[in-house]
Amino acid sequence: MQFMEARPDGRAVVYAHIQADPLVLRAADLLAAGTTTQRLLARAVMNGESADPVHWRAMFPTLFGAGAPAVGDPVRERSEAILAASLEVADRGEQTRSQFRGAIVEALTERLLAQRTAPVRRERRILFDGKPAEIHPYDVTVERDGAGEAWDCKWGARGIKADVLHQLDDARRGATDEGGKLLVGLVVFDARRSCEVRLVREKGPVALEGLKLIALEGLDRLAGRKPS
Amino acid sequence: MSTTVAALIDRARAAFEALATTAEPVSDEFQYLADLETVWGARLKAVSDARGTEPAPIGAEAALEALEAEAAAITDPHRAIDWMSTLPQVALAALGEAA
Repeated sequence: MQFMEARPDGRAVVYAHIQADPLVLRAADLLAAGTTTQRLLARAVMNGESADPVHWRAMFPTLFGAGAPAVGDPVRERSEAILAASLEVADRGEQTRSQFRGAIVEALTERLLAQRTAPVRRERRILFDGKPAEIHPYDVTVERDGAGEAWDCKWGARGIKADVLHQLDDARRGATDEGGKLLVGLVVFDARRSCEVRLVREKGPVALEGLKLIALEGLDRLAGRKPS
Repeated sequence: MSTTVAALIDRARAAFEALATTAEPVSDEFQYLADLETVWGARLKAVSDARGTEPAPIGAEAALEALEAEAAAITDPHRAIDWMSTLPQVALAALGEAA
């Protein structure tokens, strides 16, 4: 099993600019340190219609209401910063915001994994016996000897599709056939309950036991800690 | 007099149903929509059954009002599907519940 750089196609060249956008990096940094409710705020706002921060503060009383941390508290400041960054993403227009959201989930995954292990890489292919196991590169990989990982990242549960599951399963089986081990999984910035029903419908012949699912409520598990 | 958890769950379910109606034109997601209605409907009902008579937490009623307004503003069926996953989570968070 060998990890290698993916050859960039036209889409990848364009997408690389979005991945490097300061807004993507800022949002990912904030969310990596965030709580589950703060991440839920980001999901709602980035996918929402309203551009009014007052509307969103009302929707999340545990972050901004009477019982929330006071103004000036670092947790409250992070909530405000996540709200501001999320509104900036939502303001980008439908197609662009969709690309930004995907890039943010990938960058967040990279940051959380890096808190637990190394080296963590982006957009990588995996070769078995010199042959690539898939057409598309994996979003985030951990390239540690004997403890490799390959993650595909999705903004929502609807991104869980049969071809994605097959690709991950192929990589896992390819590693096993070589006598090695590769942890494969999906990181989905959506509710676990929604991801699970989607996964069951889309799995086909793929054995779900070999596939990790990390949903919005459990993102901290990527970093090796319990959800906050 | 403050509202109850059950009353706010009823409002969340009504907003959820409105999203489901908006999402209906996406016919190839029919099964997913049905699955979402099943699992989230059951989760919301479980909270209502367990805590329905309790007074709602401070701020929860305003949160539901904002959620209802957001759901009503969504006209794109694909966005409505995404919100069918998000709305129950946000409502549960406002009520002090995990998803």
